[in-house]
Amino acid sequence: MKLLSGHRAFLLQRLSAVVLLAGLAAGALRLAFGSPVTFAQWQAWSAQPLGAGVLLVLAVAVLAHAWVGMRDVVLDYIHPLGPRVALLGAVAGGLVFLAAWTMLIVVKHAMAA
Amino acid sequence: MHFRVFRYDPDRHARPVMQDYDVPLEPSDRMVLDALTRLKAQDDSIAYRRSCREGVCGSDAMNINGRNALACITPLADIKQPVTLAPLPGFPVIRDLVVDMTQFFVHYHSIKPYVTNDEPPPERERLQSPEEREKLNGLYECILCAACSSFCPPYWWNPDKFIGPAGLLQAQRFIVDSRDRAARERLEFLDDVFKVYRCRTIMNCTEVCPKGLSPARAIEHIKIALLRKPA
Repeated sequence: MKLLSGHRAFLLQRLSAVVLLAGLAAGALRLAFGSPVTFAQWQAWSAQPLGAGVLLVLAVAVLAHAWVGMRDVVLDYIHPLGPRVALLGAVAGGLVFLAAWTMLIVVKHAMAA
Repeated sequence: MHFRVFRYDPDRHARPVMQDYDVPLEPSDRMVLDALTRLKAQDDSIAYRRSCREGVCGSDAMNINGRNALACITPLADIKQPVTLAPLPGFPVIRDLVVDMTQFFVHYHSIKPYVTNDEPPPERERLQSPEEREKLNGLYECILCAACSSFCPPYWWNPDKFIGPAGLLQAQRFIVDSRDRAARERLEFLDDVFKVYRCRTIMNCTEVCPKGLSPARAIEHIKIALLRKPA
């Protein structure tokens, strides 16, 4: 239970925020100063190991950040134990599903290229 | 001066009501507590706590015009009429402006508010250097009036689990005390999803502390200490 609670969850939320901020800044800089990217170029970049890796890291950061945030909202506002556990389970299940789905898309795309 | 006062007596009222009073003041009446004393002479059924009358005991913490404060050090000249007086928000009301602080003190006792040191005591006393003593400034002055905890939304949401700003400020006071030897145990106790990390840095606590302390800063220091604590 302590694995992702207390200061570890706090740290996870901060670290994931830093990763997302770096990704956002890199994307914004690329859009602002780089040449326009076609869909084909974007596909080619995301199929490369570097591109796929960056996308996976960002996806994991989004999901980890979302978990801590959603968990906090549930803990703050949902007090009966049954609904609280059910909602936390639904959030965790949804995020795990999204993680698996994202991984499948990115890896499948990289393998096909 | 016109007052609107929260009235609730569970033996007589089905629900709380706001009662209006016009209180004639004397030139010597400077603080809200002075007006409350006049009001009490007018209607002796009203209940509120007070003791030292000079901002030291914390008994008369209440919500004055929507903001937690000590009635004894809130100048009448600074507040708008009608003056709305209500009990500390988020705390169960016993009667009128008197709240039940049992849960608040349960949290306070949970952080073990005393120096823990099993080492053999020195002949006279455990000395501190001026630098070590300096670390207690901004922490030891807390009078446990509960103005901060009662103005903290996360404390309203989880009053039984979140220790709250006052308790955490006191916890930090003992964590940084050079005479204490239980900092690690204290941090392990606090390293929990509810006890510290319900704090969302809203900073209402710092905003309303009548002693000018910053529980939000103390909580931040606890979080830093938890990150630095060896696993």
